Amino acid sequence: MITVEGLTKKYGSTVAVDDLSFTVEPGVVTGFLGPNGSGKSTTMRCMIGLDRMQAGRALFDGKSYSSLRAPLHEVGTLLDAGNAHSGRTARNHLRWMAASNGLPVKRVDEVLEIVGLQQVAKKRVGQFSLGMKQRLGIASVLLGDPRVVILDEPANGLDPEGIRWIREMLKHLALQGRAVLVSSHLLSEMALIADSLVVIGKGRLIEQCTVDQFISRHAKKWVVVRSPQLGNLVDLARAKGLQVATNENTAEFHGVESAVVGELAAGNGIVLHELSTQTGSLEDAFLEATALSVEYHGLSESAT
Amino acid sequence: MIATIRSEWIKLRTVRSNVTTAIVAVLIPLAISLLSVTFMGENNIDSGTLPGFIVGSGSVAVLLIGVLGVLCVTQEYSQGTIRLTLAATPSRPRVYLAKAVVVALLGAALTGLVVLIGNVVGSAIIDARDVPALDSNPDAAPAFLAMILMGAVVAVLGMAIGALTRNPPSAITTLVLWPLLVEGIVGGLLSLAFDDDVARWMPFQSGLNSMFLELPEDGFGRWGSLGYFAAWVLFVSLIAERSLKRRDA
Ligand SMILES: Nc1ncnc2c1ncn2[C@@H]1O[C@H](COP(=O)(O)OP(=O)(O)O)[C@@H](O)[C@H]1O
Ligand SMILES: [Mg+2]
Repeated sequence: MITVEGLTKKYGSTVAVDDLSFTVEPGVVTGFLGPNGSGKSTTMRCMIGLDRMQAGRALFDGKSYSSLRAPLHEVGTLLDAGNAHSGRTARNHLRWMAASNGLPVKRVDEVLEIVGLQQVAKKRVGQFSLGMKQRLGIASVLLGDPRVVILDEPANGLDPEGIRWIREMLKHLALQGRAVLVSSHLLSEMALIADSLVVIGKGRLIEQCTVDQFISRHAKKWVVVRSPQLGNLVDLARAKGLQVATNENTAEFHGVESAVVGELAAGNGIVLHELSTQTGSLEDAFLEATALSVEYHGLSESAT
Repeated sequence: MIATIRSEWIKLRTVRSNVTTAIVAVLIPLAISLLSVTFMGENNIDSGTLPGFIVGSGSVAVLLIGVLGVLCVTQEYSQGTIRLTLAATPSRPRVYLAKAVVVALLGAALTGLVVLIGNVVGSAIIDARDVPALDSNPDAAPAFLAMILMGAVVAVLGMAIGALTRNPPSAITTLVLWPLLVEGIVGGLLSLAFDDDVARWMPFQSGLNSMFLELPEDGFGRWGSLGYFAAWVLFVSLIAERSLKRRDA
């Protein structure tokens, strides 16, 4: 379990992360969602002590990262799959990491097999495709069999097959009871990978909730109806003050539950051929939520 | 600490450019001194000739070893592995110390190889030539020891400069220009302003002097000169270690 409390990081006068607090539970994949430049990578670097935070702390099962003597056994991190010397072989890359935390070479061969790189273990990393580098990065995360896994935009730049592989791997890791934090700037990606969300904008927490909660709270919803007596239904609804948009064969009711529309139709003996609830795109929901935070920032900044 | 040292050693020897630099740091000085004893006039060869050539090539050896020290830090920044290193070992002093131990031991081993191979092959060359039997030179052993230690000290200096600049070209430029240019100019200016005695206060020159067979008269002596240079290197290393500790990776 990860606990982040009041994390604040400034680069000069730029506030990259602003009093950010959230938790990451074991057994689920937690998506760390925010637009580009919102401070996800900075948060992760601060969490593992690469960058110094100005305030706040990050605890891994109650311990700070810098207090861990052999951290690979407790926290596996993949910030950027490109962080590997292009001239080293995959196996040697993992060997020095393993040695630093007292792990045997046998473990290197094990993780290479888990990620399916044993055939190319003796190849230089410089010859690897992005997908292979990503697998190597996951192998390094798995080295110490850690209880906490942190990945920064692991799906970025991957082809669909690579994304599916990452997704299955993360689900698998969470099922084994690990706490998994994975960042992305795409809600659609998060919806496929994550169970729960930490959403940030401009370095501040917007909300921490499940993916479903986030979508239902922010995504637009409307009721679609098809009926041979569509005109009658639309007139009745408008008379009751409901918002209705009509297309050729369908009508869209905004701001009401489908039950209300269904009961209205039944009460007036109107036959329905379709009564369904539609949800807006995830990206729209995400943009709406983060746009609010941007506006909020604009207001609070001009007010102070 | 042992684990960190092992990790740093694996890192150093699994990059081809490091291995190449290490080999070059042995071969070039050897080529200089062995070619010299091969082609030197037979009448001029005495007991100080071969040791003199070997320690004379020592300045080239230690500069190349310094470059190796630079590379083993700067490549971590250019390749992004510094973040993995510090994530795997959060104690930055421990990382710095482990790296320093590895480059120092390697530096000493490389100058040691230059001394060893230079003596074995150089003596064989001299024996094969028409030269009367030579006495052993009493200054040779201490000068060789100083050269071996200089390999360690300059490796650590290269590492410190690399950690401060984080950038190979500027680190290598600093390392090479320091003894060749900066100390020459500063020493020259100071000796104009004061007297010739200031030359001994130039750190790198002092270190290089410690390898000479015949020591300059106004120096600190062999171990004094080496110790003075080593103290400077320690000082620069402390600044570099502080910088590693303070700055974001
Ligand atoms: N090393 C740095 N120096 C200065 N500013 C930085 C640095 N790293 C990140 N930033 C700034 O901090 C903000 C957050 O960046 P980042 O954490 O990379 O966001 P994300 O990962 O969500 O895209 C951005 O405004 C970025 O420009
Ligand atoms: Mg990022």
